[in-house]
Amino acid sequence: MSLNIIVCAKQVMDPETPLSAFNVDEAAKRVVPAQGIPPVVNGFCENAVEAALKIKEAAGDATITVISVGNDFVMDVMKKPLSMGADQMILIQDPAAENLDALGTATVLSKAIEKTGEADIIICGQQASDWDNAHVPLGISEMLGVACLSEARSIDLGDGTVTVASSRSDGYEVFEAPLPCLITVNNEIGQPRYPTLRGIMQASRKTPETWTLNDLDLSESDVSPALTLSELFVPASDRECQIIEGEDEADSGRLLALKLREEKII
Amino acid sequence: MLDYYNVTELLSTEDRQIQNAARDYLDSEVLPGIKGWWESGEFPKHLVPDFGEMGFLGSNLPSEYGCPGVNNQSYGLIMYELERIDSGLRSFASVQSALVMYPIYRYGSEEQKKKYLPEMAKGNLIGCFGLTEHDGGSDPGAMKTNARKDGESYILNGTKMWITNGNIADVALVWAKDESDTVRGFLVPTDVPGFTANKIEHKMSMRASVTSELVLEDARVPASAILPESNGLSAPLSCLTQARYGIAWGALGALESVYEDALKFAKTRSTFGKPIASRQLVQDKLVDMVTDHTKGLLLAWRLGEMKDAGTMDYNHVSVAKRENVRAALKAARSAREVLGGSGITLDYGVIRHMLNLETVDTYEGTRDVHTLIIGRHITGENALV
Repeated sequence: MSLNIIVCAKQVMDPETPLSAFNVDEAAKRVVPAQGIPPVVNGFCENAVEAALKIKEAAGDATITVISVGNDFVMDVMKKPLSMGADQMILIQDPAAENLDALGTATVLSKAIEKTGEADIIICGQQASDWDNAHVPLGISEMLGVACLSEARSIDLGDGTVTVASSRSDGYEVFEAPLPCLITVNNEIGQPRYPTLRGIMQASRKTPETWTLNDLDLSESDVSPALTLSELFVPASDRECQIIEGEDEADSGRLLALKLREEKII
Repeated sequence: MLDYYNVTELLSTEDRQIQNAARDYLDSEVLPGIKGWWESGEFPKHLVPDFGEMGFLGSNLPSEYGCPGVNNQSYGLIMYELERIDSGLRSFASVQSALVMYPIYRYGSEEQKKKYLPEMAKGNLIGCFGLTEHDGGSDPGAMKTNARKDGESYILNGTKMWITNGNIADVALVWAKDESDTVRGFLVPTDVPGFTANKIEHKMSMRASVTSELVLEDARVPASAILPESNGLSAPLSCLTQARYGIAWGALGALESVYEDALKFAKTRSTFGKPIASRQLVQDKLVDMVTDHTKGLLLAWRLGEMKDAGTMDYNHVSVAKRENVRAALKAARSAREVLGGSGITLDYGVIRHMLNLETVDTYEGTRDVHTLIIGRHITGENALV
C-alpha cells in the first residue's frame, strides 16, 4: 500500500543570528527580520523531513508532502525539504497568515492536511525555534482526531500501525498507535541529510503548490489570534564574563567546577 | 558568502541552494578535520564517496552519465566552497572533474564514458591527469612520454611530474606522443605492470593533497584505452581551460577564508587600548582584500555566464585565473601580517591557505604564462616561444 506522509515545516529566523543583529519592534510587538541573514527551515522540521524519508525508504512506496503556512516564503530556503527528497510541497501563503498564533496555525494546517486527502502519518518538528511553544502539533492532532506520539527517537512501521520510542528525561517509552497518527520529532531522530546536487536539481523541476486561506474555506476571522501578545522586548543582559585561569588545563577545569558549585549552578 | 556587491542576486535559486548545501556540508563534516590532515600530510580519502554523494565530482557533466548536470555557475560555486576549506580538496575535485571526467566525456568513446563516468561521479574510481613532465610544465608540447603501437596494444614509456592524486588514482589519463608525434590521451589503469606512482614528499604546500611522479616503463594498455577523439595538444589544453575556470572560482573561496580570519582577529586583538581594526594600515589591508574579492567574484560570475553561453575562450579564463589566484595569494600574505605571530600557526587557516596558494599560483599556468597567453591574444604577437 502506498503511504501518504505529511510533514509540517516552518520557515523561521536563523537561530544562529548574532545577538547584535536581533531586534524587536516593541511598539508593533514583532521581531524585526535581521538584515542580510536569510531565514532557515526550522531545525526540528528538517528532522521531521529526515524521519519521513527514513519511513519512505523502509516502506518502499510512499509520498512525502511538505506543508507550510506563512506569508513571506523565501524559495531558496523552503525548497530545502524537496532537495532532501520530499516529493511535493504545498505552501499556504496568505496575508492573514502573517500573525497566526498556534491555534490559527493548527487550524490552517489541519484543514490543509484534510484537503490533501488520506494522510497516514503526519510528522512535525516538536517545536519551532522562533517561539518554542510546541503547541501546533498537539493542536493538529486534536483537530484531526488522531493520536499524537511525541518526541520520537525511532519510528517503526507495522501493518496499519506505527511503533514509536518517545524520549523521556530518564529514558524512553514505547508506544504503538493505529494509522493515521501524528508524530513529533526532535534532533534525536537523526541528523537531517544534506541536500545533494542531484536532489537540488530534481527539486528545481518541482514547483510548490500555493494555496490561500480561501482554498481551505477559511476566512481571516477563522484564524484570528486567540492569544493577545501584551508585551515583547529584549531583556536587558547583565552578563559578565569571568576568565578562570589555572596553572594548567586540569587546574582551570577544577577551578571552574568549584566556581560553578559556588554559584549553585552544578 | 562574502559578497560585497551582492553578486548572489545574479545567481539562480538552484545555484544558491547548491552553494548553501555545499557550505553546510563542508563546514560541518570537513572543516573540523582539515588542520590535522594538512599538518600530517594526509589526503582525507575517506571523504571521496561523500563528495560523490553530494555531487561534487563531475558536477557539470550530464545526468545520463550519472553526473548531476548543474550549470557552470554552480560548478564554480562548488569549487569556491571546496577551496574555502582547502586548496587541496578543490584540487582533488578539479582533477577528477575537469581533468579526467571532462576529457573522457569530450574525447572518449561511448563505452569509455559509460564505464568510467558514473563510477567516477560516485567517487568509486579516482583519476589523475598526467601531462606535465620534469623538463618544464609550461611547455607541454615538448613531452617525451611516448606510445608505441604493438599489435592491438600500445606500450607507454615516460615520466610525469607534479601529478595530483597520482598515488590514490585507479586510472591515470596519460598524455603521450604516438608514432606520428601526435599527442593522444590514454586511460591507463594504475595496476598495469610498468606503471608506478611515487609520492612527492616534504611539500610545504598542498599538504592535504597527494602529489606524485608517474613512471611508465613499457606499460602496456589495449588500443581501446586511447581517447579516440584526442588528436593533438589542443585536447589536454582544453582540459586545462576547464580546470582553470574552477580555479578562478576556487581561489576566491580561499580569499574569503583568510579575509574572515583577518577581520575577526583585527576586531578582537587590541594594541594600545584599541582594536587593531581601528588602525588605518590594518583597514587598508582589509579593504584591499574585500575589493579584490569583489572584483574577482564579478570576473568569475561573468566567466560562468560566458561558459554557459558557449562564448568563453581560453584567454578569458587566463584573465580570471591570473587575477583571482594572485589576489588570493596577496590577501593571504596580507592576512598573515594582520594576524602577527598568530599568523604562523595552524590554529588559523591563513598560513595554510597562503602556502597552498603558492602552488595554485604556479600550477595550471603560472601568472607569467597567463600574461603571455593574454598578451598573444591582444597583440597577435607570440611571446611564449
